[in-house]
Amino acid sequence: MTKLTRRQTLALAGSAVATLATPALAQTSPIKIGFGMALTGGLAGGGKAALLAYQIWAEEVNARGGLLGRKVELVNYDDQSNPATVPAIYTKLLDIDKVDLVVSGYATVPTAAAMPVVMQKGKVFLSLFALAANDQFRYDRYFQMQPNGPEAKFEFSRGYFNLAQNLNPKPKTVALVGADAEFGVLALEGARENAKKAGIKIVYDRSYPPNTMDFGSIVRAIKATKPDLLFIGSYPPDSAGMIRAIHEVGLDATMVGGGMIGLQFAALKQQLGPLLNNVVCYDLYTPEPTMNFPGVVEFLKKYQERAEKAGVDPLGLYIPPFAYAEMQILEAAVNGVKSLDDKKLADYIRANSFSTVVGDIKFGDRGEWAKPRILLIQYRGIVGNDVEQFKQAGKQVIIDPPQFKSGDLVVPFESVKR
Amino acid sequence: MTSPSITASGAKARASSSLGFPLILLICVVSSAVLYFGLSQLDSSYAFLAAYTVLQFVALATAWNILGGYAGYVNFGVAAFFATGVYTSVIIYKTVQWPLLVTIPVAAAAAGLLGLGMGYLTLRLRGVFFSIATLALAVVLNTIVVNWSFVGGSRGVYVMRPQEIILFSSYERYLFVVMLVLAIGSVLIARTIENSWLGRGLAALKDDEMAAECAGVPSLRMKLIATTISGALLGAAGAPFPFFVTYVDPPTAFSLSIAVNAIAMPLIGGTATWLGPVIGALLLGTFQQIATVTISSALNLLIVGVVLVIFITVAPNGIIGFVKDLREKRR
Repeated sequence: MTKLTRRQTLALAGSAVATLATPALAQTSPIKIGFGMALTGGLAGGGKAALLAYQIWAEEVNARGGLLGRKVELVNYDDQSNPATVPAIYTKLLDIDKVDLVVSGYATVPTAAAMPVVMQKGKVFLSLFALAANDQFRYDRYFQMQPNGPEAKFEFSRGYFNLAQNLNPKPKTVALVGADAEFGVLALEGARENAKKAGIKIVYDRSYPPNTMDFGSIVRAIKATKPDLLFIGSYPPDSAGMIRAIHEVGLDATMVGGGMIGLQFAALKQQLGPLLNNVVCYDLYTPEPTMNFPGVVEFLKKYQERAEKAGVDPLGLYIPPFAYAEMQILEAAVNGVKSLDDKKLADYIRANSFSTVVGDIKFGDRGEWAKPRILLIQYRGIVGNDVEQFKQAGKQVIIDPPQFKSGDLVVPFESVKR
Repeated sequence: MTSPSITASGAKARASSSLGFPLILLICVVSSAVLYFGLSQLDSSYAFLAAYTVLQFVALATAWNILGGYAGYVNFGVAAFFATGVYTSVIIYKTVQWPLLVTIPVAAAAAGLLGLGMGYLTLRLRGVFFSIATLALAVVLNTIVVNWSFVGGSRGVYVMRPQEIILFSSYERYLFVVMLVLAIGSVLIARTIENSWLGRGLAALKDDEMAAECAGVPSLRMKLIATTISGALLGAAGAPFPFFVTYVDPPTAFSLSIAVNAIAMPLIGGTATWLGPVIGALLLGTFQQIATVTISSALNLLIVGVVLVIFITVAPNGIIGFVKDLREKRR
C-alpha cells in the first residue's frame, strides 16, 4: 500500500512537471501583446469592457497593415480578479508565450501584483486605472492611464471644493462619508485637506464597512448635522445605496456627491435614473462638446454596437476610451522608435505627448499623467430609466475643470419629494 | 486495561514508521532535487511560480487535514490562519525586516497560538457549531485587519522583494524552494502524526468522541495539539505569500478560493491519510493552473465545486478511499 502510494505521488508530481513543461509554439511573425485581465470576479465588469476596447484597437491596427508591418495579436488570460494568479500569468506571457509587449490588467491590485515580474524583465508597462501603484516601486518604464496626476487623493475632491467655496452664499459646513476601503479612505483624506483649504468646517466624518447594505441610518445621522455640503467617497453598490437613502430620508444640501465610483457605469445610471438629477460626481469622460477629441465618437459608436453582444457596459464611457487610448500610445511609441525595444519605448513615451481619443496625454512623475484631469460632472434633466439618454450631451454636464466646462453648477440638491 | 496484542501491534506500527522515515526523507530530497532541476531546465520563472501555487495548496491542504481529516473537526477558518501568516510577514517586513526564513517560524508561531486560542474557546463545541465558530474567526480577523492601518488596513500594503537573494538566480526560484520545503515539511509532520499516538487518538475522537473519552483518550489536549499544529502549518504557508504577490489587501489574504481549496483538496484526495491531501492538491492545483492559462475563466472555483460534489456522492472517502475500495473488491 505504502509503496504503491509513493509511486503514485511521484507519478503525479512527474505528470504535473510534464504539463508545466509543455512549451508554447514560438511564433515570430505577429507582434504579441500580453496581459492578464479580470474577465470573471469582482472586477470583470471593467475588465471585459477594457478587453473589448483592446480588441477594437487590434482589429483597426491590423486593418491598417499592423505595427511595423507585422500583425498584432492579443494574448490574454483571465486573472479572475485574484492577484494571486497574476505573477504566474505574466511569467507565462513573457517566458512561454514570448509576448513582445505587456500591458496591465484592469485596476490597482492586479497591476501591483504584475509589477515585480514586469520590472525583472525590464518591460515597458502601461497600466489601466491603477491607483498610485508605482509610488513604492518607482519603476521608470511604468505609465498609468487614469488621469489622476501625481497627487491622486486630492483630485477626486478638488473640483468639488473649488466650486463650493465660490458659491454665494458660501457653504459653511460639510459632511464627509466614505467606504472603509482603498478608494474611500483615499478620497476622504483628500477631501479633508481640500475642505480645510477652502475654509469649510467638517461636521461629520465617518466611514462605513465595505459591505454595508443599508444606508438609511448613516444618512439620518448625516442629516442630523445639517451640513451644507455632502461629500461621498463610495464604491458601486454603496453609491447606489447612498443615493437611494438620501432620497428616502429626504436630505437636502447645496451639493451632494463627489467621489462616487459606479455612477460612471451604465448599470447604475440606468438603475438610478432621475434620482441622479443634480448629483455631482467625478468622472473621466462624458459625451459633452468640450470633450470631442478626434476619434472618440467613432470609437464609442463601434464599441456600443458590439457591447451588447460582448455582454459589457453598453455606454462604455468610463474605462473603454482610456483602454483604447492606452493602445494608441503604445502604437504611437512603437511607430515612433520603429522598434520593440523596451528602453527606447519607455524613453519615447516619457519624452512625448500623445494625441488620443481621450485628449492629449503627457506622462510625468512615477508614470502618472503630468497634469491631472479628473472631471466634476453634474447630472441634469434625467428622465426615466432609459440608458440611451446618457449618450447625449447635456445630461452629464462638466462643471470643472474650467477648460472642459460645458455648463454651470446648479444648486441646491433637493431630494425627491414624496 | 490494554491487552498485550494491542500494545504489540502499536509497537510494530511505531517501529515500521520510524524505519520508514529516513527512506521517506530521502525520497523527498531526491524528488525535490529532480523537480528543481527539471523546472530549471525549462529556463522559465513561470514554471516556478505555477509550481509555487500548487505546492502552497499541498501545504494548506495537508495542514487543514490534520484537524479536519484526522480529528473530523471541519475548520472553515483556513483563511484566518493563512492571513495570520500573511500579516505576520507584513508586520515583520514593516518593522524589523527579518529575512523570509526567520519570518516563517514567527508566522507559524503566531498562527499556532491563534489555533491554540481558538481551540480553547471553541473545542467544547462539536460538529457544525465548531465549524461556524471557525468561520466567525475569519470574519473577526478580517475586521481587525481592515481597521488596522499599520498593516495597510483596507487599502492594502506593498511588500518589496529583496533585490538579490544568495544562492538563487531569481527570487521566484527562492520562493519555490521555500514553499517546497514547507510543503514537504507539512506532509512529513502529518505523516508522523498519523502514525503516532496522537493520530490514533484523533481517529478515535473522529469515530466517537464520547466513547474515546470513556476509554481514556485525553480529547481536549489532543484537539488542542491538533489545532495548534494545523494552525501553525497554515500560517507558515501564508508567510511567503506577501513576497509572492507583492501587494496584499484583506480580500486577497482572506480569499474564498484559499479556504475552499484547502477544504476541497483533502476531501477529493481522501482525508484519512497524509497522502489524500497531497494527491488532491497536486491534481486540483495543477488542473487549476492549467485552466487559468487555457480555458481562461473562473471556471476554477466552479470546477472545484463540481468535482467536490461528484466525489462526495461517488467516492466519499476521496481518491485514496476509492482506490482502496476497488482493490478490496478485486480481492
